[in-house]
Amino acid sequence: MTRSKTRAQTCTPASVEPLGDGHRALGTWTAFGLGNMATDLGLGDVQRATLSLHDIDRLDTTGAWLVRRAQQTFAERGGELTVNGTQDQQTLLAMVGEHQASPEALEPPPDPGFVEEIGRDTFAIINKYLTFLAFIGRLTFTAVRVAFMPRNWRWRTVIRGIEEAGFDALPTGGVRSFLLGLVISYQGGVLMRQYGAGIFIADLVGLAMLRELSPLITAIIVAGRTGSAYTAEIATMKVTEEVDALRTLGVAPLEALALPKFFALLVALPLLTVFADFMGVLGGMFMANSLLDISFASFVQRLSESVSLSSFLIGIGKAPVFAIMIAAVGCYQGFEASSGAEQVGRHTTMSVVHSIFLVIVVDAIFSIAFSKVGI
Amino acid sequence: MTGAAPPEPVIELTDIVTRFGSKTVHDGISLSIYRGEIFAVVGGSGSGKSTLMREAVMLHQPTAGSVRLFGEEVARLGEIASLPLRRRVGVMFQYGALFSDMTVLENVGMPLREHTTLDRGLISEIAGIKLSLAGLDPSVGSLYPSELSGGMRKRAAMARAIALDPELLVLDEPGSGLDPVSAAALDELIVNLRDLLGLTIVMITHDMASVRRISDRAAFLGNGKLLALGHWAELAASGDSRVRDFFQERPEHQDA
Repeated sequence: MTRSKTRAQTCTPASVEPLGDGHRALGTWTAFGLGNMATDLGLGDVQRATLSLHDIDRLDTTGAWLVRRAQQTFAERGGELTVNGTQDQQTLLAMVGEHQASPEALEPPPDPGFVEEIGRDTFAIINKYLTFLAFIGRLTFTAVRVAFMPRNWRWRTVIRGIEEAGFDALPTGGVRSFLLGLVISYQGGVLMRQYGAGIFIADLVGLAMLRELSPLITAIIVAGRTGSAYTAEIATMKVTEEVDALRTLGVAPLEALALPKFFALLVALPLLTVFADFMGVLGGMFMANSLLDISFASFVQRLSESVSLSSFLIGIGKAPVFAIMIAAVGCYQGFEASSGAEQVGRHTTMSVVHSIFLVIVVDAIFSIAFSKVGI
Repeated sequence: MTGAAPPEPVIELTDIVTRFGSKTVHDGISLSIYRGEIFAVVGGSGSGKSTLMREAVMLHQPTAGSVRLFGEEVARLGEIASLPLRRRVGVMFQYGALFSDMTVLENVGMPLREHTTLDRGLISEIAGIKLSLAGLDPSVGSLYPSELSGGMRKRAAMARAIALDPELLVLDEPGSGLDPVSAAALDELIVNLRDLLGLTIVMITHDMASVRRISDRAAFLGNGKLLALGHWAELAASGDSRVRDFFQERPEHQDA
């Protein structure tokens, strides 16, 4: 077989053995062969020693550095390590010595103290809220400016965005809502049957789905599905300097990247919510039919009596608010990424976590507000 | 490195054909690169230089033809079987491809941490030496890749590529983005590495000054074919005007 192959296969561990009044090195003195070599090369705590490199298979920079380092240790305590080797080996030793770094240069940057870290984190958090507010401001400003320039409305991008965020989410969204309606109907139905109040299942399913669950669950799913995609897309463009390229070409990144996403989600999320309403009620109706023997006709009739139009509108009304929050957080996190693949991942995670959290908080605020007002 | 021993091929490419969709990038290219050579791959933009080297180091599978690396037929190797072979090859990518979540020093030490049992302190020291070899001050080791300039990133990538003293070092556009003085220093480093460690070096380049300075042989790719192969002086005197123009016109353009 070829020489290279034998060389790669016979990587014998490096070792040092006494020879005459000196020592000789054996084995492969490379990064792979030197794993168990002690830093003093096993020469012990002596003042003078000689090491011959003539019998080793191969010397690489790692091996050369180990030898060189041992020489320096000897020199530090006033001794001397004489190394015999070929001309190439000596040149390599000299080269490694010439390029060695001072120990200070290799020190990792000092760890900030506990107090400093608290300070830095606090400042970073405050700063994050301020930049988010500034982002919202810039986005609003851009939206108002573009509103008066119909030529700059990016219809195509918006429509494709609606397709991706809305239409493509129909199957998963529909199945999910259907199952949710089914479960609510089942859990409620078991209880209501005991009181002979089976028909009220329509009230339960209708109100729960239309007012609360459809908007909330749809928003959470869209935050995970579309919000994260927005962040990943913009963050990657930011990292690869595509955002800067847009800027140099005289195109405002917010106008080209963020606004179309906003409007797409503003349309898609309410529509998805309506679809989720429908599928949820359908699921409840099926379960009511099989569990409580309530016919579809009587379920629908009861539904129209008990669930007012305002309940439906309240649910749908929340959707655009959620859409704005999801798009704002998604785009903001994307633009915050500065460099590297790791940043794309981190900001995508933060985008999903923050937007879901915001959606739930705002939903709670809505509930409290509505109960105060009494609708 | 012009010993009497018969030249041992490190890379053998035979009848390489590469197609992307209907576009043929390589239409039957055969060449061998021998141990201890500094081999330049030259050609116009889009002539498939980088793709050819990606195929040679098992990053891309050619449509047809055979690739032998260190005498082993690459196509027959599985993912696991190819690992020891990959360890013997260092690649410096055109844009550095440094890992963004590690400091420069960690980037350079990464191959050593992954593949050897050396202790961490020793690995940092060796990483420091490699940085210095690549022409960087070791104090940049604590920075992250995003904090480096383009030229520094390139040098750091070079330091990482030589971390394990690979037998074969592939450099994609080593000189681009460097000032002439740094590019010359990098050339010197390449020659040193070859002489001292017996590396085989393949560089994909547009820098004709560098080809003249250090390459032993050069291959010229064009129209999916190997248009010329030999010492740069032979290429500069080639009967093919496409090859000749490349060697003669470049310096004027560089001054512009």
